[in-house]
Amino acid sequence: MTILDVRGISRRFGGLQALSDVTFSVPKGQIVGLIGPNGAGKTTFFSTLCGLIKPDSGAIMLDGTSIVGQKPHKVAGLGMTKTFQNVALFAESSVLDNVLTAGLLRHDVEKARERALACLDRVGLRSVAHKMAGNLSFPERARVELARALCTDPKVLLLDEVMAALNPVEMQEIMDLIRQLRDDGITLLVVEHHMRAIMAICDRILVLNFGRLLADGSPREVANDPVVIEAYLGRSAEGHV
Amino acid sequence: MKRWIAIVVIVLVAMAVPQVLNPSGYWMRVFTLTLLFAAMAQAWNLIGGLANQLSLGHAAFFGIGAYTSTILLLKFGISPWIGMFAAGALGGLAALVIAVPTMRLQGHYFALATLAFGEVARVIANVWTSLTGGPGGLSVPFVPPSFAAYSFKQLLPHAYIALVALIIVTVIFEVIRRGAMGYRLRAIRENAAAAEVIGIDTTKVKLQTAVISGVLTAMLGTLFAQVAVFFDPDTAFSAASISIRVALIAIIGGVGTAVGPILGAFFIVPIEELMNDLFSSGAAGLSQLIFGVILIVVILWRPRGLVTIFEALRARLQGRGAQS
Ligand SMILES: Nc1ncnc2c1ncn2[C@@H]1O[C@H](COP(=O)(O)OP(=O)(O)O)[C@@H](O)[C@H]1O
Ligand SMILES: [Mg+2]
Repeated sequence: MTILDVRGISRRFGGLQALSDVTFSVPKGQIVGLIGPNGAGKTTFFSTLCGLIKPDSGAIMLDGTSIVGQKPHKVAGLGMTKTFQNVALFAESSVLDNVLTAGLLRHDVEKARERALACLDRVGLRSVAHKMAGNLSFPERARVELARALCTDPKVLLLDEVMAALNPVEMQEIMDLIRQLRDDGITLLVVEHHMRAIMAICDRILVLNFGRLLADGSPREVANDPVVIEAYLGRSAEGHV
Repeated sequence: MKRWIAIVVIVLVAMAVPQVLNPSGYWMRVFTLTLLFAAMAQAWNLIGGLANQLSLGHAAFFGIGAYTSTILLLKFGISPWIGMFAAGALGGLAALVIAVPTMRLQGHYFALATLAFGEVARVIANVWTSLTGGPGGLSVPFVPPSFAAYSFKQLLPHAYIALVALIIVTVIFEVIRRGAMGYRLRAIRENAAAAEVIGIDTTKVKLQTAVISGVLTAMLGTLFAQVAVFFDPDTAFSAASISIRVALIAIIGGVGTAVGPILGAFFIVPIEELMNDLFSSGAAGLSQLIFGVILIVVILWRPRGLVTIFEALRARLQGRGAQS
């Protein structure tokens, strides 16, 4: 069953074609990796999916509902949200309040607090629930982003480099969490620069280059695709792009 | 628990104060105005504190409130108690009209745009003579004293009405601040894009807040009209003595907290009156100058408002408790 269907999405910023004719669809319950060099348009694509950026053309269907031109809060209500690569927390609020606020999308304050604590448990941040979000380290803040997005009860979750700056142990924890979320029925799109992590957790990988979809296949297929190696993997010997 | 005791004591003291003042005297008037301005600053605090948008146009709602009830009383003999609700409805409508175009503006631009709207309201009130009486102003007509007619022989009942108004507005502020809307407003204030992405209808929340603030401010304008008895467009829609003053009271007291506007009003309104009294015989503008200097000193000393004095005090007490 298709949960997300993207048809011919294009978006220009002045003279720059940030996205051009991106088309693919995702069945429910997949973990899809989205990779590509810096500036390829990954973040722009996520912002377009969740309604922060309007595409110049194209169609997006979320679970059978057209969401192009809808505001982000509508898209969140329909079940798709994202984390921010640069971390966009409510810095002067507590970690708990950051996550609780997302729970208010579907619950009252009391229920949202319970949900928020459960989400903080899942990302391993329950112990800092009462700290001010702005005072956390960068990796911790990225995990608050994840907990907050989770607390909206999404069907489709877009993760924009949540593993940046994590140590290997923390990275493994997040990878386990992503698999658990998939098992819970959430569909995930994951932008990540750590190739090993991407290859390990993703059922499928999309490669974006200059706003264009270059390849779409299993990790093995993509890793062996000559076009991808030529345009992208070939440029970095250490496997960390 | 301690908190509730403090609140009860403060309310009891506030209820006792009018009993020791001359029932129609100068200080009764100052006390009543202080309570009304505290309530207005509290209504402003919804937008200025929770949404963190510096509105300098609240005189528009205030003036609409004063004029609506008074015109209804003059033309149709309708009691200001009822006129107050018509005032609230029009104040809410005006807030909606102002909020729709200004909502997206940030910082200085929002402040300037709302200031402009307030001035437009003042000009309209001056020009629309057939409705408002124009620059000549309006007098609240005398009606035989009764509670139903909102007409009293003394100032004393006005003080109690103002006290009840302040309590109601403060409770509304606190309920909003602690509830779902408070969380949403803080989220919008700290990161509007993130707030949208996690499902907050930022447009709707801002409009709701503006309308609630506009309704309350207009209703307080009605109460003010009964105390002032006479007003004209330049006083009821005044940028300096209403819009900016209300914002100043909340800022000096501490925005975003329920205590801030009350502290601010009890500091600013009496001091302003006192300065005018003490220095009225001196050079023109001397009282304003001294008042301005006092404000600057307070702002430099407590940039986040007088409310932080209590926070510092509490921290010191707790520190002492921990040592012993
Ligand atoms: N709001 C914007 N205005 C103009 N250019 C933008 C904007 N957002 C992104 N870009 C440009 O679009 C391109 C894609 O950026 P981005 O989506 O952030 O790439 P990635 O996330 O893949 O690194 C970059 O060249 C970037 O400079
Ligand atoms: Mg990016």
